[in-house]
Amino acid sequence: MSRDFAIAQESFDEILAWFNPDRERAAAMYVQLRHDLAKTFVWRQCSDPEGMTDEVFDRVARRIREVRPTYKGDPRLYFRAVANNLVKENFKKIKTQIALEDADLTKQQVSQAEAEDADVEECLQACLEELSFDKRELILAYYAKEKQAKIDHRRELAQRFGISVETLRVRTHRICLSLEQCIERCLPAYEQRK
Amino acid sequence: MDDEIIDDVFLREFLLGKVNDEERGRIEDLFLIDPQAKERVLGVEQDLIEDYLEGTLTTADGARFVARYAQTPEQRRRLRITKSIKDWALAEAASSDPAKTSGRSGFLAWFGFRPAFVLPLAATAIIVIVVGAVWLSRRAEHSAIEKELAQLNAPSSFRDGPVSLELSPVTVRGGESQAPLNTRASENGVELRLLWIQKERYPGYQATIRRVNERQSFSVRTLQPESDGKAIRLKLPAHFLTRGMYQIKLSAVGSGSSVEEYQFMVGN
Repeated sequence: MSRDFAIAQESFDEILAWFNPDRERAAAMYVQLRHDLAKTFVWRQCSDPEGMTDEVFDRVARRIREVRPTYKGDPRLYFRAVANNLVKENFKKIKTQIALEDADLTKQQVSQAEAEDADVEECLQACLEELSFDKRELILAYYAKEKQAKIDHRRELAQRFGISVETLRVRTHRICLSLEQCIERCLPAYEQRK
Repeated sequence: MDDEIIDDVFLREFLLGKVNDEERGRIEDLFLIDPQAKERVLGVEQDLIEDYLEGTLTTADGARFVARYAQTPEQRRRLRITKSIKDWALAEAASSDPAKTSGRSGFLAWFGFRPAFVLPLAATAIIVIVVGAVWLSRRAEHSAIEKELAQLNAPSSFRDGPVSLELSPVTVRGGESQAPLNTRASENGVELRLLWIQKERYPGYQATIRRVNERQSFSVRTLQPESDGKAIRLKLPAHFLTRGMYQIKLSAVGSGSSVEEYQFMVGN
């Protein structure tokens, strides 16, 4: 579904106003909702989550003037309903795309992935340097064990910090997310050098 | 979020597509509007990804996982990134695990009883402390500069003032050859206007700036575009800039692929 994505400025402004009267908060909600909708498309096996997210915003933008005055409730749920309809509409097409994607997993792609692994390593080292000492140590401790051993290890770790295992997991997830985003930003620079 | 009804096991079933439409809809609604529920779902997803990377999922769950999380090149890349973080932590932990370095600890114990080695060990310790102190001081300096950059570029501090230099991305013809910037004339700092040439407009941007040939970089995370979305202004304190070539990477918040690179020269 990849295509040029451009919402008319007027509709975009109206979407933001629907989210929140404070434009800064609305912009943050917009970015977050895009990310979250893309995630729900992943869960539903859609092969182009970003493209489908664009389509959802496009559809809402086209109808916002009629929908907004009468819609009751959190606008994000309206976006989800549109996303849900889109998945149903595209279900057949998506399945075909998945089949083609699987068939296309060639040796060339595998070797490209291996080449990228080296870049990921380089970027990881660079991004780890940007992390504070505490965060780096937390990630290190959290992932120090695997499989069954990690369960007891993380319980002990959480006790040591005086927090629940749940909170520990959320904290490390946030750090990992920022680390992953840093690596994503770093990778194109390495690819360009080749 | 109702903990009794939606536990980790249920969320794992949801993530693997094993729940009915109604339940799926309920979790997706919560995911979009309830921050606590979102963190919980993402936490369970994190565990699931880990289990896949460790090879502990059943064959059927593994297949369901791959169908959702390893379909596209971007998703496979994200998995490789997660794996690299785990591998790094495991390798670091293994290298400092006393059980795996018992031979080395015996060796160190032997060192401890030899007075001839006490002086070199003490000298090494002092060097380590000094290097550590220098490193910490550089980190503090780095944080202070980033804080200053964040304050300068806070949305509330922007007024339509004069622009010191307008920069085009290096991918644009002539974008890499801008006139040198003279910071002596601008004691209060310089204001760069970075032209955003991509079709897509975003509500937020972040910039990373570094001096070419230097590893240290500084990030500004709260940049907003001008009202038409065609340019983003970046303020830099004058003392931050010394003679040399600088590189700026500007990326759209929430879009991993929308990045532009700019260069400029400081002449004084």
